[in-house]
Amino acid sequence: MSIFSPLAPKQDPPLDDLVNHEVEKKFSWSNLYRSSNMTFLLILTYIGSFFLFGLVALARGANPFGVFGAMLQSSVLNVGSIEQVILRAVPISLAALAVAVPARAGLVNVGGEGQLIMGAVAATGIGVAIGASVPGPIAWVAMAVAGAIAGAIWAGISGVLRTKMGANEAVTTLLMNFVANDVMLYLIYQPWRDKFSSGQPQSQPLAQSAQLPALFGSQLNLGVVIALVLAVVTWYLIRKSHWGFALRVVGGNQEAARRAGLPINKLLISSMLVGGSLAGLGGMLNLAGLEYQLVPGITASFGYVAFLASWLGRHDPIKVVVASLVFSAIALSGNGIQLGFGLDGSIVDVLLALIVMAPLFLSKTRKAAAK
Amino acid sequence: MNGIEQSLIGGVEGGTAILLPSLGELIGELSGVINLGTEGCMLAGALGAYAVAVTTGSALLGILGGIAAGAFFGLIHSYLSVYRKADQLASGLVVWFLALGLTSVFGTGYVNDSITPLTIISIPGLSKIPWIGPILFKHDILVYLSYALVVALVVILKKTRLGLLLRATGERPEVVGVAGNRPALVQLIAVTLGAGLAGIGGAQLSVGYVGNWFNDMTSGYGFIAVAVVLFASWKPARVMVGAYLFGVVLAASSVLQAHGIAVNQYLLDSLPYLATLIALIAVSKKGGSNAPEALTRALTDTT
Repeated sequence: MSIFSPLAPKQDPPLDDLVNHEVEKKFSWSNLYRSSNMTFLLILTYIGSFFLFGLVALARGANPFGVFGAMLQSSVLNVGSIEQVILRAVPISLAALAVAVPARAGLVNVGGEGQLIMGAVAATGIGVAIGASVPGPIAWVAMAVAGAIAGAIWAGISGVLRTKMGANEAVTTLLMNFVANDVMLYLIYQPWRDKFSSGQPQSQPLAQSAQLPALFGSQLNLGVVIALVLAVVTWYLIRKSHWGFALRVVGGNQEAARRAGLPINKLLISSMLVGGSLAGLGGMLNLAGLEYQLVPGITASFGYVAFLASWLGRHDPIKVVVASLVFSAIALSGNGIQLGFGLDGSIVDVLLALIVMAPLFLSKTRKAAAK
Repeated sequence: MNGIEQSLIGGVEGGTAILLPSLGELIGELSGVINLGTEGCMLAGALGAYAVAVTTGSALLGILGGIAAGAFFGLIHSYLSVYRKADQLASGLVVWFLALGLTSVFGTGYVNDSITPLTIISIPGLSKIPWIGPILFKHDILVYLSYALVVALVVILKKTRLGLLLRATGERPEVVGVAGNRPALVQLIAVTLGAGLAGIGGAQLSVGYVGNWFNDMTSGYGFIAVAVVLFASWKPARVMVGAYLFGVVLAASSVLQAHGIAVNQYLLDSLPYLATLIALIAVSKKGGSNAPEALTRALTDTT
């Protein structure tokens, strides 16, 4: 490995031990048995999650099977809702990748929510200012750049606080979420308030040309393609690139990274910047492709749903996107439960939490199997 | 009564809703487990207390409901992170999300109910002291409970075997195990107890200070409580100072508004979070070395 200095003392343990991550194992029947065993256990605990959720519905006087039916009906059983699921998965998956990238370096980014908000805020600022006077594609690019930068700054602050001050990034990113929300509300209620709309305060809507157009006569837009491409790029960056490998070393064993002469602080901050820019872009795509104007609660807790999705996908970009799609469907299906059963739509938060509890519950088993 | 005095009174009243969860979080972190689910435990405590108060007509009994609800979510978190070896930060946040969902599902029925909140008790004599009296000795019972808890915690941590066991578990659980104790059980109990205190903190909001229940009513206080413990470098007396500091910032923003001072409400709302961040930055560097060792290990073990 080229990044390790040839002068490093000989007694250094081999890299695989230092990085102690999923080391690729050669095929053997016992490995297959162990991994299929793990999958089996995981499936059992997922069933347990749905069972517990059913009990919660039952406790509120709703028929669990009816609730599951309504959830399917309002999320994946017709083309219109499938498109909505995919559209909402765009900000969720980008914010989830924003968790996955720093996680590679051992950082916990709980700030997806704030980074989504700041991305949307920056995109609104640019979009409303120039959207009507420049051609669409120029407005899109300007908004995307602004959103990515805003998200990167918001996450980068926590990165710097961690490296320079030793402040726990999970706590600081969380607090930054609340600050971001207040900044957005301030803008919506005062300087950016749309004077021509009555009722709920909101910003001016984007000019028609600055909104992402629908593709192929569906509700889907360019944002879906961008999210998919970024997922693959992120996968490449953290799995195949030199940078990603360095992140993994830092996340696995800082002492080894230090001895190898890796710039630890720069790597940690860069992972937060990349993560934040992904989430910021997610906020921009949510604005330009779905909401078209800044309204209170525009992110609908997607940043937190994304955090759970990244954990469910074990921070593997491709799995994370799949988890984001599933969670997007579940989040959307709250509407169906609310309409059909009069239960608060937040009941789906319970299901999301229970689903992520399954792999957490099996952590011990997985760690034992890895040894 | 001027604005400053009003802010200080409100600072103690509202600060208690941060102080109690912070003390609970302190106990848990000293044993080596961080609980980001403190926010959820508070939320559950707020609803649990309110529901019991509505049903029985007694806000005092409500406090018990708050303890039980908070402790329940603490138990889930500590079981997952101690006995199932789940990542502590992820487990805490999942517990928060679970509590957020469950309280909005089960709380809808209570939104329009009303209760008689905890009565304000003036301590005879002490409450007559000018300035200090109304600020410190004219509050509901939970405020006095929090005073007692701070003192009790200082004594327990410094003077008793129990305190030693707790701190030893947070530093070197292996050693505690070799000595014939059960470190995992100590952590489970510490975190569950701490979550019970977070539940009382929620009760201080729903059946005390605010006297009402609404969805997500804790709005991040639980996260501030976790930050306060870091800010205080795991010392009970400093936790008290930190919690009141944020209580005062919270109260001051509503006092400013009441006096018609033209500052935007949402910018004021962000003050407690900003103040917490700034306080964290100010102390982080030197505070870090004070962290219980098992906690540091748990937070850096990312596999």
